[in-house]
Amino acid sequence: MTEEERQARFMERLERGEKIEATDWMPDEYRRLLLKLIHMHGVSEIMGAFPEKEWVPRAPTLKRKLAMMAKVQDEMGHGQLLLRVAEDIAAPLGKTREDLVTDLIDGRVKFHNVFHMEAPTWADAGVIGWLVDGAAIINQAALLETSYGPYARVLKRICAEESFHMQHGENIILALTGGTDEQRRMLQDAVNRWWESLLFFFGPVEVTEAARKMIQYKIRTKTNEELRQQFFNKYVPRIRSLGLTIPDPDLRYDEKEKRWRFTPPDWKRFSEIVRFNRGPKSRDRIRLRRFAHEEQRWVRKAMVRSGAAQSVV
Amino acid sequence: MNHGDSGRIQYDVFEVFVQKTQADPHVHMGSVVAPSPDMALHTARENFLRRESGVNIWVVPRREVTATPYDDPDYFAREMDRKYREVSGYSENGRLWKMYREKAMHLDDIVRDLEEKPLRDR
Ligand SMILES: [Fe+2]
Ligand SMILES: [Fe+2]
Repeated sequence: MTEEERQARFMERLERGEKIEATDWMPDEYRRLLLKLIHMHGVSEIMGAFPEKEWVPRAPTLKRKLAMMAKVQDEMGHGQLLLRVAEDIAAPLGKTREDLVTDLIDGRVKFHNVFHMEAPTWADAGVIGWLVDGAAIINQAALLETSYGPYARVLKRICAEESFHMQHGENIILALTGGTDEQRRMLQDAVNRWWESLLFFFGPVEVTEAARKMIQYKIRTKTNEELRQQFFNKYVPRIRSLGLTIPDPDLRYDEKEKRWRFTPPDWKRFSEIVRFNRGPKSRDRIRLRRFAHEEQRWVRKAMVRSGAAQSVV
Repeated sequence: MNHGDSGRIQYDVFEVFVQKTQADPHVHMGSVVAPSPDMALHTARENFLRRESGVNIWVVPRREVTATPYDDPDYFAREMDRKYREVSGYSENGRLWKMYREKAMHLDDIVRDLEEKPLRDR
């Protein structure tokens, strides 16, 4: 079979709605696009645990502390599942798990803009669960249909756990809304702080070349803007129903065009944050990740040795 | 498993199967990387049983798995109608029983009735 025939057969499989598996032949381009997406998704889960972990020791009650820890564990677990999927895609390219991890600490792979930002108050912890996890769920639920089987299977589990994060976040912000004026102020401040980051999270409005290719390969099925509009549909009414103000005076639903109009986030500032790890917390959190990776290398090594010793006995 | 002095550590891949209750079969959940079967069990529990319960986990080194190919649809081809093997192949029973003023019986009914009406003391 020539390369063109293989490519054509592959596209036919996608057209029939078949899922692609790790051991199947796939175009190099498909492999690279998948790897880029899942690698970034995986490391973002891990970096997503950092702003939340900062709130574990400071959570107001034992119940909140336990829930927060559960969430941090989930995000690390999501990272592990996704890196496992990424690893199998990367293997034919000569990349290993170790490479995928060091790419993060050496700044060769990006992670989501929201995890570069500060979470200074307890209301931020709530808003992260409510709106950041909410935005992430829209993203991930849209990927459940992906053409890559191992990714689809892992996303099923991830989405189920994310729905707990969503409820947990909502519970925190509902408690604050029903609290004192100061607590409501704290919540409004947190919403103000996160709004622009949340809009950027879904990515540029225009469909980039890479995004177009991903849709063609059925790796994803929706555009960034479709997902952002979903987010508005679901969350704008809820945010307003709590008496909170969205920090965008121009935000409105255009009845004629059936879409939300909004003030665009500062695309340039946020892309620089993501591209150069230049956000307020990027460096700190990466330093911590590097510390964990390097200082525990001896443990990983020791375990390999004891594993080898076991198999001799 | 190999490890050079560059600090690169390569773990083995283990496929993970979890049994929910002893009345269920082990079901494939995904895979983990680990330096040993023991650690694979531990990581599997952390990854797949943070909420769900289970009674047993199997971890199997991936290289020990022999599998069918995905891209050979012929392997699973059904060359003929298999209705004769299936419940749905006998749907006319319902119509036939009606002639005798009776209803067709199904496994679900038997199971439900056994649960609802335990045997009386004899
Ligand atoms: Fe997650
Ligand atoms: Fe989450």
